[in-house]
Amino acid sequence: MRLSTTISACVIAFAALTAFAQEPYPTRPVNVVVPFPPGGMADLSARPLAAAMEKIWKQPVPIINRPGAGGAVGMQSVSIAKPDGYTVMVTLVSYNTIPEVDAMFGRAPAYSREQFVPIALIAADPPVLVVHPSLPAKSVKDLVALAKKRPNEIVFSHSGVYGPSHVPMEMFVHAAGIKMRHLPAVGGGPTMALVLGGHAGMWASPPAMAVPHIANTKLRALASWGDKRLASLPDVPTFKEVGYDLEFYVWSGMFAPRGVGTAVVSSLRETVRQAVLSVDFKTSMERIKTPIAYLDALEFQKFLEKDLKMLSSAIRRMGKIEEAK
Amino acid sequence: MVETFQDLYLGFSIALSPQVLVYAFVGCIIGTLVGMMPGLGPLAGISLLLPATFGLNPIIAIVLLSGVYYGAMYGGSTTSILMRIPGEAASVMTCIDGYAMTQNGRAGPALAIAAIGSFIAGSLGVVGLMLLAPTLAAFALRFGPPEYTALLLMGFFILAYMSAGSMPKTLSMAGLGLIFGMVGIDTMTGYTRFSFGVIELGDGIGIVPVAVGLFGISEILLVAGAAEPPKVQRPKLRELIPSREELRLSVGPIARGSLLGFLIGIIPGSAHIISSFVSYGIERRISKHPERFGSGAIEGVAGPESANNSAASGAFVPMMALGIPTSPITAVMIAAVMVHGISPGPLLIQQQPELFWGFVASMYVGNVVLLILNLPMVGLFVNLLRIPYAYLYPCILCFTILGGYSVANSIVDVWIMLGMGVIGYLLRKFGYDLAPIALGLVLAPMLELSVRQSLAMSAGTYAIFVNRPIAAIMLGIGVLIVVLSLKPLISKRKDWRASVGLESEQS
Repeated sequence: MRLSTTISACVIAFAALTAFAQEPYPTRPVNVVVPFPPGGMADLSARPLAAAMEKIWKQPVPIINRPGAGGAVGMQSVSIAKPDGYTVMVTLVSYNTIPEVDAMFGRAPAYSREQFVPIALIAADPPVLVVHPSLPAKSVKDLVALAKKRPNEIVFSHSGVYGPSHVPMEMFVHAAGIKMRHLPAVGGGPTMALVLGGHAGMWASPPAMAVPHIANTKLRALASWGDKRLASLPDVPTFKEVGYDLEFYVWSGMFAPRGVGTAVVSSLRETVRQAVLSVDFKTSMERIKTPIAYLDALEFQKFLEKDLKMLSSAIRRMGKIEEAK
Repeated sequence: MVETFQDLYLGFSIALSPQVLVYAFVGCIIGTLVGMMPGLGPLAGISLLLPATFGLNPIIAIVLLSGVYYGAMYGGSTTSILMRIPGEAASVMTCIDGYAMTQNGRAGPALAIAAIGSFIAGSLGVVGLMLLAPTLAAFALRFGPPEYTALLLMGFFILAYMSAGSMPKTLSMAGLGLIFGMVGIDTMTGYTRFSFGVIELGDGIGIVPVAVGLFGISEILLVAGAAEPPKVQRPKLRELIPSREELRLSVGPIARGSLLGFLIGIIPGSAHIISSFVSYGIERRISKHPERFGSGAIEGVAGPESANNSAASGAFVPMMALGIPTSPITAVMIAAVMVHGISPGPLLIQQQPELFWGFVASMYVGNVVLLILNLPMVGLFVNLLRIPYAYLYPCILCFTILGGYSVANSIVDVWIMLGMGVIGYLLRKFGYDLAPIALGLVLAPMLELSVRQSLAMSAGTYAIFVNRPIAAIMLGIGVLIVVLSLKPLISKRKDWRASVGLESEQS
């Protein structure tokens, strides 16, 4: 009995000593929380990334999906996770919008951005404006003219209020000085069904989802929100080309809870950098037709600040949404 | 037509290759087990398995996942029938008459009919998918919010006739379900309602924890509170086979359930759960002996079980023909092929015929596999009843909590489930019927969304519901149902419900 106590005391002391010196990281599985359901953009880009990181670290990197409330549930769980580097998250642009919306409604925030340390930007996918072919608009110019002639008559749809297909539409409507009504849906699939069925005139669709329908002439693409044309839609201009200074990306990036040690952060940054450069990761992202847009922590921080400024002014302009009555 | 057969031949040559066949078997087995686990439904099953398919080729991935899908749809009925614990939400209606049959010593036939009904419905669904997918998909797209509203209203009118209990009790339970359905973020404005600062409630109260809690946990509590444990049954072999009478009674419900389920399944956004409710309502409405429902009517098992399986096939129509995920389940399936660089869409049939036809053929194969797998297993499952309740129920409670947690890694779901268990226990003690709560909870958010979407489309004009032909026709049928159901009240004819007094038998 006493012997075992002595031994365990020694073991604990030894462990404490090594931890003090420089704990190797990672020595056990690193959980990547994805605050969205399996099969979504965050999930599909996090999985190949985790697989590539696994090879570098020689440690399992399991994905844990914690969906709910548009990502707020999972992000909150990571914000209060132990900052030991064994819980990180891969999340989407909603990271920036959720606290803004919470603040506007004056409700207790699910999390604050100060609770996280940005590790790296992984991918950024600009949406594309697609219209139902029955809408007599072949270009953004036509659409703006049409909407000016028929204010508040044309209806656009989106996958959820203040979400990544609502905000870019609001930015466009504001920049063009037009008025359109909106038809909220729940999720990308149902939104696409509403537009394909002609129940709504248009939406800001993820390109991968829209390309097959554009090829089949069931949808017409007018412009995309990127700073250069999409590889999958080389004939579709950007908003910048047609005279609107708009940029919007549905991005995904990795974060760790604030408080992680500097050694852990640098290990994470280095591993993500290598993983993003790996051939396997590139092939996987090509398959899901999502452009890689790697930025390391410092540039990612700048990107986030710029993104936030733009999103927060868009959300404040939108204000609390009045229902059409 | 010749072309279709050639294509189908191509499909079968893929689906019957040993490798694909093995995965079809594995998928069906996993699916059946997942479906049997209370709290784990088809969505949780295929979500958990999705990452494992990334390393497989796309045909095998989709064969495996669809095997899990319809395996789970069938597996959910097993625990419903044997223990009155729904394995997943679409099996709630099966609980009522399936469990009553078990108590009458007819567990074997109930399970067998559920398997046969699922098989026939699944196979008919595949035929529908194969021959009509492009046509139906175009039709399904015409279903916008106003049409959907009309459809859901029809569902509500059927709800009025669903319960065996008294009308005020039924309506109050439906009201409770509707109130539960109001919780969560308002989809039109982003306001949170009744979430009391609990972020997890932002998406509302899920049907899975509620169904499992209300029916499953309350059942466990009721048995625990009973003065003496229910008698352990020792089913005999010859009691496993459905009698000729039972088979005869099941033909109609299976046929109607298959058609109904398929039609509800193809409509974007609609859930297979509703198809089982509607099927049960219809079967009881047209039955010559509605009083048998609730005390072991085979039709009450055959109809809903067929409907939920063919709805599963129906949901593949918009997915395969248009590449649109109209439900969370098809969204996961689409992700499974997308990671292989295939974009599902209207051109899939031309660009990747082997994928489309391989999938169609594998669904035929999958349904056969499911039947081969499950008919002999009926004997095995029925023997679960031999386990004394003192051992069986604590195990089930454990599985229920594990299943409830693993769907979204959410402890809040577990609390909802346990809370609903207590509510269900109390309500059943007072003789309330629980099914309307589940239906109310499913319908409330859908109806609210589609009404408000319709008004957003029309800028607030209600005329949109009658200006559109499909919506107008369905609303007309709905009004007709209401008028017909009011007839007994007006003509003062004695309702069968008053004379039978099913209420007292329920608790």
